[in-house]
Amino acid sequence: MGLERADDAGVYRVSDTLALIQTVDFFTPVVDDPYWFGQIAAANALSDVYAMGGVPKTAMNLVAFPVKEMDLSILRQIIQGGLDKMTEAGVVLVGGHSIEDKELKYGLSVTGFVHPDRVLTKKNLQPGDRLILTKPLGTGIVNTAVKAGMAPPELVEQVTRLMAALNCTAAEVMGRFDASACTDVTGFGLLGHLAEMVSGSGLGVRIDSRKVPVMVEALTYATMGLIPAGAYRNREFREPMVVFAEAVERSRQDALFDPQTSGGLLISVRGTQAGGLVEALRDAGVEEPAEIGAVLTGPEEKIWVV
Amino acid sequence: MKEIDARGLACPAPVLHTKATLQEEKPPAVKVIVDNAASQQNVQRFLESQGFQVTMERQGSDYMVIGTCRSEPDEHARAATVPEADARKIMVMCATDRMGFGDDELGLKLMVNFLRTLKEMGPELWRLVFVNNGVKLTIDGSEVLADLKAYENAGLKVLVCGTCLNHFKLLERKQVGETTNMLDIVTAAQLADKVITI
Repeated sequence: MGLERADDAGVYRVSDTLALIQTVDFFTPVVDDPYWFGQIAAANALSDVYAMGGVPKTAMNLVAFPVKEMDLSILRQIIQGGLDKMTEAGVVLVGGHSIEDKELKYGLSVTGFVHPDRVLTKKNLQPGDRLILTKPLGTGIVNTAVKAGMAPPELVEQVTRLMAALNCTAAEVMGRFDASACTDVTGFGLLGHLAEMVSGSGLGVRIDSRKVPVMVEALTYATMGLIPAGAYRNREFREPMVVFAEAVERSRQDALFDPQTSGGLLISVRGTQAGGLVEALRDAGVEEPAEIGAVLTGPEEKIWVV
Repeated sequence: MKEIDARGLACPAPVLHTKATLQEEKPPAVKVIVDNAASQQNVQRFLESQGFQVTMERQGSDYMVIGTCRSEPDEHARAATVPEADARKIMVMCATDRMGFGDDELGLKLMVNFLRTLKEMGPELWRLVFVNNGVKLTIDGSEVLADLKAYENAGLKVLVCGTCLNHFKLLERKQVGETTNMLDIVTAAQLADKVITI
């Protein structure tokens, strides 16, 4: 697959029945607890393989650690968190590389398998498809409130668990349906990633903003101005493509642009199967799947948020 | 005017500095200087959420966000519901939609009557908070919906627990009040002179 169409991961065809998916992702800590940070970074890196319709098989650790300033036990906890996530995902850790760095970073390079005919990219929306989201939005805003010391401990725990949740089950269920396109929602926010799917498609999309699951606390914090700078950048970048109906409150708009850490899958599925997919996701234990919109024949390359 | 220089700071620091200054000094007007658009919008929204009227000025690459306390009370607000600095502040928290134990039908009747009679507290009634089963009083079909809306229109702040609405899957059905979180509830309980829990 060429680079001209940036996708979630690289795909290399080995034979008529097997293609490799390769991806790498790492970042600086998003939570204070090292064990949970390890889990989140691993879940985030693995997610790109799931978004391509594949199954991750092996991974390598990427570590940047300030060994002079930080105790090695912290690193051990991070790696244990990552390893536990890989075990949960059925992935084998086959190696890794670490360097000394002033700023702590952790992530994975992941290899997965997919049948070449079952590769899902961002670019195959079909008119009449419905859009399904598998995790609630709001982690960026809530993390900003956490940084501000304004989030209560139970909310910190809730957002941490949400970010650490694998997209594994969601991807497995998706594989049983006729999905035409998929991506995972991360730094560009829901509308940013959706814009990538829409651009070049010649189609339009309608999002029913009231149906998009958002952590309620995120809406409150947005009203108070606890919004990460990335959300404003995402909005500025994609504003020309997005049309908001007047009734969509500002805080909800912010949540739709909120950069997510290890967010859910955004799936475009054949319209007649949307209800079945949401139900199957819920039955499989995905907490808050929702049908959030539809692919339309027009207005061309616009996202219409009602 | 109180001036806060938040240049060179990334979100959410400018909002936190502003918040701290408002809490410590309670200035009638503030001028917050920031150097990026995201901080400008965040500070503006924070000040608006705290009841300030906000104007903006651009100076070179800096933004001045100027907030002044709204001097004119909201036209719907009864002057009496804006408590004087020395008036007592009473917070009433309803954690149930029934008053007392025993007969549920009676309990609901009593609760309705209680909420309607609350207005006799006058301007001292400062916050009305609904949590747990109490949130069911704020959704469509509630017997006291009209009464709660009247309180809200008169300027009383009605807070409804978002976690609870979410738990009962009633988020879309809430008809009155502001969706709130535990931090707001705890802050309100701390600021109140008296908290009555039903």
